[in-house]
Amino acid sequence: MMKPLLEVEDLRVRFHLRTGTIEAVRGVSFQLGRERLGIVGESGSGKSQTGRAILGLTPPPGEVTAKRLAFDGIDLQTASKRTLREMRGGRISMVMQDPKYSLNPVMTIGEQIIEAYQAHAKTGRAEARDKALAMLEAVKMRDPQRVFSLYPHEVSGGMGQRAMIAMMLVTDPDLLIADEPTSALDVTVSMEVLRILDELVSERGMGLIFISHDLKLVSSFCDRVLVMYAGRVVEELEAKNLREAKHPYTQGLMRCLPTLANDVHPLPTLNRDPSWAL
Amino acid sequence: MLDIQNLNVVFGTGRLRVDAVKDVSFTVKRGEAYGLVGESGSGKSTVLRAICGLAPITGGRVLVDGRQVTTPRDKTFYRTVQMVFQDPYASLHPRHTVDRTLSEPLAIHGEKDAEARILQALKEVGLGPSFRFRYPHQLSGGQRQRIAIARALILRPKVLLLDEPTSALDASVQAEILNLLDDLRRKMELTYILVSHDLAVVAHLCERLLVMRHGEAVEETTAEALRSGKASNEYTQSLIQASQGFTRKPSQATAIAG
Repeated sequence: MMKPLLEVEDLRVRFHLRTGTIEAVRGVSFQLGRERLGIVGESGSGKSQTGRAILGLTPPPGEVTAKRLAFDGIDLQTASKRTLREMRGGRISMVMQDPKYSLNPVMTIGEQIIEAYQAHAKTGRAEARDKALAMLEAVKMRDPQRVFSLYPHEVSGGMGQRAMIAMMLVTDPDLLIADEPTSALDVTVSMEVLRILDELVSERGMGLIFISHDLKLVSSFCDRVLVMYAGRVVEELEAKNLREAKHPYTQGLMRCLPTLANDVHPLPTLNRDPSWAL
Repeated sequence: MLDIQNLNVVFGTGRLRVDAVKDVSFTVKRGEAYGLVGESGSGKSTVLRAICGLAPITGGRVLVDGRQVTTPRDKTFYRTVQMVFQDPYASLHPRHTVDRTLSEPLAIHGEKDAEARILQALKEVGLGPSFRFRYPHQLSGGQRQRIAIARALILRPKVLLLDEPTSALDASVQAEILNLLDDLRRKMELTYILVSHDLAVVAHLCERLLVMRHGEAVEETTAEALRSGKASNEYTQSLIQASQGFTRKPSQATAIAG
């Protein structure tokens, strides 16, 4: 394998609150090449905070420490603000959960894509516009010209999410972090969005970190899966070997989902062992 | 128990007219669990809301226990039919304790013996008496949904309308709530109408279901038929496929493998 794109070692995210210190992420380590990595966990497992910490988006009063946090050899902890700014959105970008909240409501979709592009590439407006239109086409918008001049409230959830993917990929990043990109969408629409994401990622040879609570979805989409529980990675496995998961938490998560194939009454529930969180 | 005939729900007039539900009919027998499945905007939630009076019935009839419902609904209706909402973070009053949330329906209906009833209701949903004086923010998502179910059950209704009761919850908590709903139905001989976008959840809890799209009924089928993959309708098939997780097109899959 080539040099890893992203190296994370002993990542910790702490929040110092009035009531004490909460450690949301407690020593996460992984390496990422140009592959699709899934991070799965339930709410509060620290999966989103892991994604945010990589981009330096941990909200104050959060504190991020790591033995090593490097992207393509550049240490993200000691890098200057300027380098980080160039990196964010340029070489690493992030797709958020809900397009309703993460697109600017008073700018047209086209303007937003142009803004994202011009923040990282010194080009004229005409070229940026062409690039934005091409990107809208790449995410399979039926009428890119029309979508270009629409405001976010005028498009559906699936279109909004595709517009966001277009915006995030317009700068040709090396790494894309997708934080629950399809949770706010319908099943059939989310499959369509995933298909587009999948095509673009494999075409451009990007690295992808896919954060989700949906174990079934992640295992069908990614190459490798990290299972998080209470701020730690409890298990790392190849997505296709998910059935042979060893950790009782992963097994429990797999079993407690109702499936169409077999009808189990009652559903097995997850008995949380306090030792998992240690 | 429940008979819906040619239900139409229309919002707005003129240019803003939206036909949210078009000519939907189904019947639910006593003690049965019936599912409504579809994407957002398919009108499945609107059907529930129309039944319990939160959306206007523009056309058609809704019969509960053989009698047509009145508008506004009377107290007898709400003693028979209660609803559990999707998001337990939004459906409980943030500044009311569990005790106050649960005593409100009792007060409205002039029920006596509130204390015993509240403790009983908490027990039924698997929570102890220690939860009685807590506020919603002191509860987890699953516990909140249990309170929402307790609130709906405290008047001993016969029909429970469940609007995506588990979609805001984690997978492991979803399993607990689904088991609870299953148990309660058996113990109290309840009739359920369950709305969900998740075919697996509906097939788990319900015997029969209606697939909806764009406000229209696409197909009425049984959980059994879904399981054996016998759904005839193309749209139902696509929903089944989507619920199995992400699939790559064969050509692409080999490209990645190679």
